[in-house]
Amino acid sequence: MNIRVIGIAVLAAVLALVPSVASEYWVGLLTQILIFGLLALSADLLLGHAGLFSLCHAAFFAVSAYTVAILQTRYGVTTIPAALAGLGAGTLLAAIFASAVRTRGVYFILITLAFGYIVWGVAHRWASFTGGDNGVTNVPPLTLAGVQIATKAHYYYFVLIVLALALALYRILTTSPFGLALRGIKSSETRMRSLGYRVGAHLYVAFVISGFYASLAGVLYIYFNRFVNPVAAGFPYSVEAILMAIIGGTGTILGPFIGSGIILILRNWVSGFFHYYTAVLGLIFIATVLWAPNGVMGLIKSLRSGNRGEGA
Amino acid sequence: MTAIVLQAINGLSLAALLFLLASGFTVTFGLMRVVNMAYGVYYLLGGYIGLTVMRATGSFELAMLVGGCAIVVLGFFVDRFLIRPIGSNHLAQVLLTVGVAFFVGEVCLAIWGGDSLKIQLPSYLRGSVELPGGIYYPKLRLALIGFGVFAALSLWLLYHKTQIGAVVRAGVDDREMVTAMGINIDLLFVLVSALASFLAGVAGVVGGAFLTLNPGAEWDILVLALVVVIVGGLGSLEGAVLGSIVVGLLDAYGRWLAPDFSYFVLFGPMAILLLFRPTGIFGKEH
Repeated sequence: MNIRVIGIAVLAAVLALVPSVASEYWVGLLTQILIFGLLALSADLLLGHAGLFSLCHAAFFAVSAYTVAILQTRYGVTTIPAALAGLGAGTLLAAIFASAVRTRGVYFILITLAFGYIVWGVAHRWASFTGGDNGVTNVPPLTLAGVQIATKAHYYYFVLIVLALALALYRILTTSPFGLALRGIKSSETRMRSLGYRVGAHLYVAFVISGFYASLAGVLYIYFNRFVNPVAAGFPYSVEAILMAIIGGTGTILGPFIGSGIILILRNWVSGFFHYYTAVLGLIFIATVLWAPNGVMGLIKSLRSGNRGEGA
Repeated sequence: MTAIVLQAINGLSLAALLFLLASGFTVTFGLMRVVNMAYGVYYLLGGYIGLTVMRATGSFELAMLVGGCAIVVLGFFVDRFLIRPIGSNHLAQVLLTVGVAFFVGEVCLAIWGGDSLKIQLPSYLRGSVELPGGIYYPKLRLALIGFGVFAALSLWLLYHKTQIGAVVRAGVDDREMVTAMGINIDLLFVLVSALASFLAGVAGVVGGAFLTLNPGAEWDILVLALVVVIVGGLGSLEGAVLGSIVVGLLDAYGRWLAPDFSYFVLFGPMAILLLFRPTGIFGKEH
């Protein structure tokens, strides 16, 4: 038994005990933290592992949530086929948007931003199908084998189980030769190219897998939230996911979840007494870039070793 | 037939507005390698300030001047104290300027509220004129097209026919070499950035009369301007002209022919173009 295994076991035990000690409010918030942490993790597969800064992950998240919501409410499709269709739709969209990997740097950032806007625009404008700004409401709770998972605590356990599987796969993926090749591309694309790696194909596949994880977050989100509107597809969700990954530390599994926890707890707390939360969020963006470009973990490390962080 | 012509003029008037924003973005990027996502909020804040000036004084020209100058001041502080310390990392620049945009956007919401506001036009821009062929068309939109052409011509002359323009073009091509020639590139950055901020602020005032000012408008206009820049190629003034016209026309015809999917009409051709020319029509690798 090494430290890592013990750590994971302790973390799992603590997470499993939460519903028996915490109020429903905290269980709900924690579920949200896990879901948005997964969205942040999906964006971080590109950012932390492949070095690509995508601004369209809310699109996959929203498309899968919308697909589930529309299939369930309008066509009476049951949970499992609806969820699979949601995952499929989000991943398919990722396979189309992944054409962005032909570009790098600023162009990649701007193109993914524009791609994300297409989805937001469709959700917002195509009101006869997507419900416009009101979105799709009254999504039924998750039902597996005839059993409804309706309470917050039960849904929390469901999310935990799905996450455990998804994260195990993520870990296998990022430590596989494929994951290592992505890291190689991040540190030196030219070198990987001259070593004979098909850089474009690697990035394309990474983009699609990353879209799959964002879609998974979308499915978990829709059964938690039970409604979806164009906000879920909006630019702020995409850029917040990136911020969460950076605050927690990119290129790690735990980091995006820590970032998600910090941002969402802060939001719930600040929104309680201050009407203009987005202004605070803006300041967090600025402060993170100026003083903690390597995230909270990096900040702690640099304060300990006595030298201050010097910009991103 | 009349509708086709009308939509073309609609598209060109939007193109003129987009050009004001996109030209600043593209030239500052070309010179300084800075991705500034706050241009949308520069536009919105410039518009709101112009609105307040217009209400107080009734002078549209003064509104444009004050709106533009206010953004020059804001842009200077953002450049000097926020963007400069973080260096050339695009990821950091995007996150930082998005933060600025969120913050300033929320301040605008706190001051001017959440309703859609419109800047009242001076009397000589109200009403419409008859064009050849019996088409009646709002004066404002024609004036906007004229203003856009004027701005594009002035920028083109400044860029291609003056000493400053020559230095800026040299800076876009090879910044180190320009510095080595003994030219104060920092001063040049400040000047170009001030011009870009001024244009963004003026665009906001014009846009406030032509479209509306409301929370969220900063992102709508920014994304259109970014598509202009992507299509035309980053750092190219000619690209910004061409891109504005393409985006303006696509938007106008898209809204008219396929209102539910106007975003597809706008972004679809962009995506296809990029598959064949990833750096836009006039762009270079950055």
